[in-house]
Amino acid sequence: MSIKLRDLIRSVRSCKTASEERSVISRESAMIRTAIREEQEQFRHRNVAKLLFMHMLGYATHFGQLECLKLIASPHFPEKRIGYLGLMLLLSEEADVLMLATNSLKNDLNHSNQFIVGLALCTIGNLATPDMSRDLATEVDKHLRSGSPYIRKKAALAMARCLTKCPDMVEDFVERIVSLLKDRSHGVLITAVQLMSCVCEIEPEVGKGSFVRLVPSLVRLLRNLLSMGYSPEHDVSGISDPFLQVHLLRLMTVLGEGNEEASEQMNDILAQVATNTETAKNAGNAILYECVQCIMTVESEEGLRVLAINILGRFLLNRDNNIRYVALNTLGKVVLQDSAAVQRHRNTIVDCLKDPDVSIRTRALDLIFKLVNLDNVEGLTAELLNYLVVCQSENKSDICTRTLGVVDKFSPNERWRVDTLITLLTIAGKDCDDRVLSASSTYIASSKDGVKAYAVHKLVKAMRDDDGTQEGLLIVAIWCIGEFGDMLLNPHTSENGVSYQALEPLNVISEVEGVTKQVTCTNAIRQRALTCFAKLTVRFAHCDAGVVQKLRVLVNKFKASINLELQIRACEYSNLIVEGGSGKGSLARMPVVDPKVAGKKSLRGSMSSGGIDAGAIANSSIPGGGGAVGGGQDVGGDLLDLLDLGGGTPAAAPAAAPTTNQSAIQTAQSTDADLLSDIFAAPMPTPSGAPTVVPPAMGGGGGGGDLLGDMFGGTPAPLAPVAQAPAPAAMPPQPPVVDMFAPQPVAPAGNGGTTANPTFTAFSKDNLTIEFETRKEDLSSQSCEVVATFKNSGSADMTGMNFQVAVPKYITMEMLPPSGTTVPCNGGGNVSQVVKVTNTQMGTKKLMMKLKISYTCAGAKVEEMATASGFPVGY
Amino acid sequence: MIQFILMVNKQGQTRLSSYYNWLSMSSRVALESECIRRCLSRSELQCSFLEFRGYKITYRRYASLFFIVGTDGEEENELGMLEFIHTLVETLDKYFESVCELDIMFNLEKAHFILDEMVMNGMVVETNKANILRPILLLQREAGKDDSIFK
Repeated sequence: MSIKLRDLIRSVRSCKTASEERSVISRESAMIRTAIREEQEQFRHRNVAKLLFMHMLGYATHFGQLECLKLIASPHFPEKRIGYLGLMLLLSEEADVLMLATNSLKNDLNHSNQFIVGLALCTIGNLATPDMSRDLATEVDKHLRSGSPYIRKKAALAMARCLTKCPDMVEDFVERIVSLLKDRSHGVLITAVQLMSCVCEIEPEVGKGSFVRLVPSLVRLLRNLLSMGYSPEHDVSGISDPFLQVHLLRLMTVLGEGNEEASEQMNDILAQVATNTETAKNAGNAILYECVQCIMTVESEEGLRVLAINILGRFLLNRDNNIRYVALNTLGKVVLQDSAAVQRHRNTIVDCLKDPDVSIRTRALDLIFKLVNLDNVEGLTAELLNYLVVCQSENKSDICTRTLGVVDKFSPNERWRVDTLITLLTIAGKDCDDRVLSASSTYIASSKDGVKAYAVHKLVKAMRDDDGTQEGLLIVAIWCIGEFGDMLLNPHTSENGVSYQALEPLNVISEVEGVTKQVTCTNAIRQRALTCFAKLTVRFAHCDAGVVQKLRVLVNKFKASINLELQIRACEYSNLIVEGGSGKGSLARMPVVDPKVAGKKSLRGSMSSGGIDAGAIANSSIPGGGGAVGGGQDVGGDLLDLLDLGGGTPAAAPAAAPTTNQSAIQTAQSTDADLLSDIFAAPMPTPSGAPTVVPPAMGGGGGGGDLLGDMFGGTPAPLAPVAQAPAPAAMPPQPPVVDMFAPQPVAPAGNGGTTANPTFTAFSKDNLTIEFETRKEDLSSQSCEVVATFKNSGSADMTGMNFQVAVPKYITMEMLPPSGTTVPCNGGGNVSQVVKVTNTQMGTKKLMMKLKISYTCAGAKVEEMATASGFPVGY
Repeated sequence: MIQFILMVNKQGQTRLSSYYNWLSMSSRVALESECIRRCLSRSELQCSFLEFRGYKITYRRYASLFFIVGTDGEEENELGMLEFIHTLVETLDKYFESVCELDIMFNLEKAHFILDEMVMNGMVVETNKANILRPILLLQREAGKDDSIFK
């Protein structure tokens, strides 16, 4: 027996737990389904009402959709009403049953009762599909002329829906819309104005063209509202119909934008609104806010703009947070046009950063980033750094990156830049992303020696003060100590009077060692520390033997590291730094990188390989020497980057470039193999393309460096790297570095991945030969790629090549666009096209294709058909 | 344009929801709970606007009930929306005679009828309380006999 809606709500309310509620609902929906099946008409509309309730609670109600349709066809008003409500709430625009409603809607639109017409219009307004819109638009249009304002206002919004769904109908109805503006009812006016704004949005040309002549009418309407005096019908806290005023202003904004004449007509009224609106209540502020937006968007007079910005300034000082929020919001929009005027309110905006409300802070922050220029960069950046200390950690990364943008653009001098970045790292070193790290180290490395010394001293101090959690800071600091450690041995006094004492080599080493001993130390930091130790053996070479000995011990310690990467590097380094070893060259200072190039590269790197991990520094600021000095896992990435810079291969392999620390030898091998095949497949990159990144100190360097040097040297022979790799082997004992390159001889063979693919001639006639090359990632997979290569051995070009393929039903295929449609004569170049094929019955049935080829050769049109069945076994 | 209107109580239970663009049930539930979570975490002094998932949320709290309106894009007048929420509440108040959460809950369909007189397809139809309620009250009188089925 069906219970009342009220009882259902009551029993749901009395549920103590979610599962109890679920069981009540599932019991009830079972009842409803039974009622639906048994066609219990008397309960139909109560059941739909219950479904509305269950729908609101988030339960499935799809089974009630047809019931809604039955209800709207009912002659009784209450049933119809619930039916339409159910339709609007339960159905999506995509639901198929909606089509069935079209007829009922049409009937109801022609009903004599205005409320039934109103229901139908409301439903059209909320739910109409493009098809329905087309069918019913004329009916809706009829109601725009109705005698009842109740119908007219609903018809206006229903029309808005229809036109949004079918923009091509706009021209047919635009004149009718214009006439709506003469209406006296505020309800009709507000809907008409919204309809006009809506038309301007979907068909800007038609809409603005037709409505711009109405600007005087709009102005008159607004003036009437302002001078109407008290009318209880439209009064909202002392202002007559603020909603209509706001919508009128919005429409004027759209119409006046970029139109001098229309803007001229608006000037007076805008000034009137801006000066006369009562601001004690929210309604007045809403109008003022819209008015300011209007003034700033249309081509208004200079005086008016100043007035508008001053209103915003007043808003900023308001105690109400809502008003301050919209002020910041609007200032953000106008800052690019009227920067100077906004700058005057800079201090107030900066104060908003200290607001306890996160919405306000976010807006203020956005605005400040837009306000920064060469004159105020120092002050504003200091505020940003202050804010960075207190802001939520999820926003820190973003702020760091944006601050970096500011630093990139507006730095007054090198020292300030380095100072800012180090402070940034000290505050948010654990949150900032790799770009900030690499940019910091790049900037430090590219600055003058005095600044470098200052930076490295400052970093050592920051590192000492840190509790070991600011990973970014530690990474940059350790990298800089490794690079410029010798500068620490001298005292330094900077221009701004800060002086640092000279440090003892052993102290420097123990600082770094201290960091690696902390529990919070990550592998990324350890990698930098290891490289740092290796480099310091060269920087501190002139100090007493104990220092270098200590460094050797530290490097050797890593030989027993649990991390494979560290272990390998430690072995390599320990061979480089032995007495009389050839480490000196490869451990020399990194060549200076142009920050712009590095920035571009790291950006691309993070896009193509999905983040460069912590190896970003090695990747972007230590290019070239990658194999010997950088985090080894980035060798692949580095080489590729270099090749790219040299204009060589497209970035085909970054996906394969391992990015995690865990990538062991295997992955290193595969990267190299990929790399080599890429290199050999493509023309040699020219060394001149990458002048800034070619490492100058390559002679006798590590294996990786040699490899690179050779490649850039333009050695054409594929085996050259292999021949070169043993060069470091002159060092006793056999360096493990070579291990990494051991699979090289295999690489060219692996390169045969392209040649080893089964190839056969699928078609050959009249000088045209089509070869099919089949590629498969995995032999067991059903899908493969067929590359069709067109060769023309004749003496005339074949143009308009059109290649079509048909396959049996058990095969699905997808054709990619061909590399060209003209096949040059005498085999002077090939055209290829890739067809992706999936054989769903692989194993039982073979791959087969029917081909249709059409082209024009020497003026004659040729069409050929053929069958290709020579696919190899297993395809 | 208004994308959705929600009435949610302090416990996070939805009392009324109206969407002007179709959302799947699971995303509605997620959206509603995130909305109310964020609104609840804000104090009276903070502003009534939030931005998340590409929506701009304008909310206002009346006793235990949050009235939440989600709009899209930058174009919406936030203060105007706040005023609209107030009009909505005043209208409900007039109709139910000092409205409370339970009035809306037990008269869900009536609350929807009122809302439909005020908003259609995300646009404002009418903001005059008398004009909104006139047809509602008239129909209620006319349909007095059949009304028992609702209860």
